[in-house]
Amino acid sequence: MKRLSIILIIFALLVAGGLMWWNFGAGSETAVAEATFLQVAEDTSGFARATEPNNIEFPRDLGAHDAYQTEWWYYTGNLEGENGRQFGYQFTIFRRALTPEAVEDTASDWRSNQVYLAHFTVSDVANEAFYPHERFSRGAAGLAGAQAAPYRVWLEDWSVAEMPSGEVRLLADGGDVALDLILTQTLPPILHGDGGLSTKGPEPGNASYYYSQVRQATSGTVRIGDETIAVTGLSWKDHEYSTSALSEGAIGWDWFSMQFDNGSSLMFFQIRREDGTLEPYSSGSFIAADGTVTHLTREDWSLDVLDEWTSPTSGATYPAGWRIEIESLDLLLEGRPLMPNQELNVSTVYWEGASQFSGTLAGQPMSALGYVEMTGYFATMDGRI
Amino acid sequence: MNTVTVHNRPLWRAAWRRMRRRPFQYILFVLGVAIGVAMMVSIDLASGSASRAFELSTSAVTGQTTHRLVADSTGLDEAVYTELRTELGFSPAAPVIEGYVQSPELGEQPLRLIGMDLFAEPPFRSYFGNGGDDIGDLVAFLAEPNTLLLTEGLAAATGVELGDTITLDYAGQRVPFRIVGLLQPGDEVTANALSSVLFTDIANAQPLLGLNGRLSYIDLIVNNDADLAGIEQFLPEGVRLETASARSNAVQQMTAAFELNLTALSLLALVVGMFLIYNTVSFSVVQRRPLFGILRCLGVTGGQLFGLIVGEAAVLGLIGSLLGVGLGVVLGQGMVRLVTQTINDLYFVVNVQDVAIPPLSLLRGLLIGVAAALLAAAVPAREAMKTAPQSTLRRSTIESNAQRLLPWLVVAWLALSAIGTLLLWLRTNSLVVAFAGLFAVLFGFALLTPPLTVFLMRWLTPVGSRLLGVLGRMAPRDIVRSLSRTSVAIAALMVAVSVIVGVSIMIGSFRQTVTLWLSDTLQADVYLSPPRLTASETSGTLPGDVVATAVNFPGVAEAVTTRQIEVALPELNRRVNLHADSGDVSQGQRQYLWQSADLDTIWDQFLAGEGVMITEPLYRNANMSLPPEPITIDTPAGPRTLPVLAVYYDYASQQGSVHIGRALYDDLWQDDSFSTMALFLEPGQPIEPVVAALQVAFNGRSDVQISSNQSLRENALVIFDRTFAITAALRLLAVVVAFIGVLSALMSLQLERAREFGVLRATGMTVRQLWQLTLLETGLMGSTAGLLALPTGFVLAYILIYVINLRSFGWTLQMQLEPSQFINAFLVALGAALLAGLYPALRVGKMVVATAVRSE
Repeated sequence: MKRLSIILIIFALLVAGGLMWWNFGAGSETAVAEATFLQVAEDTSGFARATEPNNIEFPRDLGAHDAYQTEWWYYTGNLEGENGRQFGYQFTIFRRALTPEAVEDTASDWRSNQVYLAHFTVSDVANEAFYPHERFSRGAAGLAGAQAAPYRVWLEDWSVAEMPSGEVRLLADGGDVALDLILTQTLPPILHGDGGLSTKGPEPGNASYYYSQVRQATSGTVRIGDETIAVTGLSWKDHEYSTSALSEGAIGWDWFSMQFDNGSSLMFFQIRREDGTLEPYSSGSFIAADGTVTHLTREDWSLDVLDEWTSPTSGATYPAGWRIEIESLDLLLEGRPLMPNQELNVSTVYWEGASQFSGTLAGQPMSALGYVEMTGYFATMDGRI
Repeated sequence: MNTVTVHNRPLWRAAWRRMRRRPFQYILFVLGVAIGVAMMVSIDLASGSASRAFELSTSAVTGQTTHRLVADSTGLDEAVYTELRTELGFSPAAPVIEGYVQSPELGEQPLRLIGMDLFAEPPFRSYFGNGGDDIGDLVAFLAEPNTLLLTEGLAAATGVELGDTITLDYAGQRVPFRIVGLLQPGDEVTANALSSVLFTDIANAQPLLGLNGRLSYIDLIVNNDADLAGIEQFLPEGVRLETASARSNAVQQMTAAFELNLTALSLLALVVGMFLIYNTVSFSVVQRRPLFGILRCLGVTGGQLFGLIVGEAAVLGLIGSLLGVGLGVVLGQGMVRLVTQTINDLYFVVNVQDVAIPPLSLLRGLLIGVAAALLAAAVPAREAMKTAPQSTLRRSTIESNAQRLLPWLVVAWLALSAIGTLLLWLRTNSLVVAFAGLFAVLFGFALLTPPLTVFLMRWLTPVGSRLLGVLGRMAPRDIVRSLSRTSVAIAALMVAVSVIVGVSIMIGSFRQTVTLWLSDTLQADVYLSPPRLTASETSGTLPGDVVATAVNFPGVAEAVTTRQIEVALPELNRRVNLHADSGDVSQGQRQYLWQSADLDTIWDQFLAGEGVMITEPLYRNANMSLPPEPITIDTPAGPRTLPVLAVYYDYASQQGSVHIGRALYDDLWQDDSFSTMALFLEPGQPIEPVVAALQVAFNGRSDVQISSNQSLRENALVIFDRTFAITAALRLLAVVVAFIGVLSALMSLQLERAREFGVLRATGMTVRQLWQLTLLETGLMGSTAGLLALPTGFVLAYILIYVINLRSFGWTLQMQLEPSQFINAFLVALGAALLAGLYPALRVGKMVVATAVRSE
């Protein structure tokens, strides 16, 4: 499990209406938020659940799975301009089913029980500038959706879409920044957990289907203001769908992805609990350069926070430096964000940023670029699900 | 040199004492001002409230919108919105579906149903903010079919609650909707503006309003020219970009003429009121002439007297105006319903929740009231100031002055009539000019009243003498002798009654014209239509199966269908109704203002799509020439310019309409729906059985209305009468003003003559004779006013029908005179006058002769 999970989507829903109906930031509105939240989250009985290993097929499962409550297509990447200028980007489209069953309506094309939300950020490392953007739409009338073949996930004019060549084009324009990237697959999709079934908690069905395309060669342009910079780099794509929730006592999570300079990759997430311990169902995958996957469980790694950063906007304090040791892989790493402020202050507050890591793998010096996501530092998520 | 030796204070004290001694006159003065002001204020408030309600609900719904993408009333393709967002990437855009619905649970008022996309809304309509409370279940709003939001105010007013299911009725379709949230707009203005608005998801609104695949419009926020240019380039044919204010301006323009007419009517009342004030003030001056003479002799300057009289008038005018403003606010509450009804019937749907009371309207009423009082008082005051002291003492001076004035009044009448006629003749479209002309003519007639009165009385003196003896001779002579007072009262009554005559003739002619037009136009036997919320509404279509059934119904020989939508005429810069006709429902009976060829040819050309026909109001309102230039219409296939084949008389819409052959419409609009259907039965086929059979065939269906020719005509006239309810109400008020005025004038006139009556009694006249004399005099005055009001009223009617109405609405009316209109008006004048004579006569009867004779 990783990412903003239900909370984010709930917030998506909330914001969809919320921006309009409430003033954000005032005290009483949080209560409203919770009320709406609980209402949505409580009854998940009619939704499909991830229960079977080896249930993912391509290209069938590239598209949307409307029967599951939550789904996301999550792109992150580190890019470099010709002069060595560094950029990070995040482009995520979330889907949320409001109800288990779609209403059959032949009359209006606007009828939908699917809500889409997108987050798009660019990190201009040299200038320490962070550009977050957010959008919402219903999954209807051609405004937003996800399809398997040809692969296309879009929310209005933000989209990732398969081109006739088989490569994928990512387009996003937030006004002040824009991306136009071509992503080329270098490894087949990696299934996490047990054949793509990623368990989130002890309850049956509290799991997701989760696969990644961990090292997609990326080239294209980044536009910052009026300046358009040609870039190349690596992108990481996650696609996950589930009807799952945080277990009781969990308050947030940290998710790490790294693309090592020797061609291997690492992903792991840990769910933090209120009492300071970690959720035992935290897990990860180590992907060797040839695509061989080594699954990691909670016991495999240890993580120490080396530094902290406090957001001037939200006041939340996030870890800003890590020492990571994975004994089973003989991996020892230290990492830092490429720039401190990569906090998204949108409908929900979290930190998702380009980071760099260096250390040794089996005694060999290694370095990596990657993305880290940290949630639950602004407000505890406890009791919200 | 000249120093003021007398202080003002004793003067004021004297005035105050007089007021206390004779409060009645002053009460009537105050009442006269009050009613005049009240009428004006109430009209102002009523029409102001209606337009403000429209403006507020428009701006509340418009929110931050700067521009709008619109097409005709069939809406625009929803794909335009998707492309705007997904291809052009323009995000400050919100799709809106709009229509008017009704709900029995919400009090049957027309409610604006807005179908929207919650996700597109945040930049546009933020008026829901600040509430902080839970407004409801947004998940259900999005995901559950047929859910809606309404304001807490509307819910409270109608007694519905969160979670209730209510029925929405659109063109007879009844669909249950669940209330999933209550809005609490932050401020009261917005709350009021939204109190007749329902919000639902676009997916619910589309099927209910019959707009599947369509949008009513797309709201945009465009802040720079580059974006604007980008959007303009992207627009498909038939879709226009307009500013958010353009539409509401255009809509409000429609009612401008209507509102001006109301204002003019209320001004007319004020003019009558001014006569009253003039009468009262000049009367009080005349009465106090001896006092003024003494005061002048004592050293009071003319300026001080002027100040005193004008000051009195100002104080009384202020009191009257204050009362009038208060009364106007009360009257406005009732008036607003009438005004709203008319606007709903003739123009657009507006829902007025309460009467807004802008301080400016009240201040204006106050100022005009006081100004009118001052203006009316200025003439007598000036006279009191200018007259030499010794002649002020002489009672006869003012009367001989009045007599000398008579020839000049005739000259003034001629001059004013000439000016008025000129103003009316001017080929301008300005209503204000026309009304100025109308007022000039009316004022001219008022000035002509004294000379005509004198003429009539002199002629009557011998006649009266022969018929009634000495009383018959005395009464007309008395009137002439105190002409300065009697003539003003007569003129005031005359003006008031002539307004009654003029407006009655105008309404009567209008009604007659419409009746004739209905019988010409409605030749078919049976009519089918969807139920409509208001007469002005163009939406709603007949279900396809109804059309199919009706066409082949036993006994039906022929069916003529019409599709009615609203379109833009870009070159004329106006929006009108477009009717796509499959035939001539009038079967050639229609009256044409202009036609390009003989009827059969025209209709062949029309049905073949070679041109359009337009109605008279469009021709007039757009100032078109004859023969009319070809007309350009925005169609989904782009603007089309079509020749005009004919212009015909039509009283269905004040904006006028364009008629187009059905085949051409189908080509251009790709729309196969029908708004109404007219069925011609086979010859000899009685109508009622077919109507009954149709009713059985469509039994239980609320989405179609079946009317016989007869009932349709009756309904049309009901609407007609409803739209003129406001005018009739104003007419009634004018009568009240006139009545009070004449009461005041005649009463003071008679009361003043206490000494004279005393002398008459002392010299042997009986009480009975005095009664007769009093009533004879007031009766004569009333009859004179009534008599003079008849030609004046006729002239007014002529101007109203052939100038004002034509310019305001573009309708040619056939003037229709009915004796009853004249007789009634005459009786009103006579009745008012006789009634006014009762009280003085009563007093005369009770008076003690010695006291009366001694009283001076």
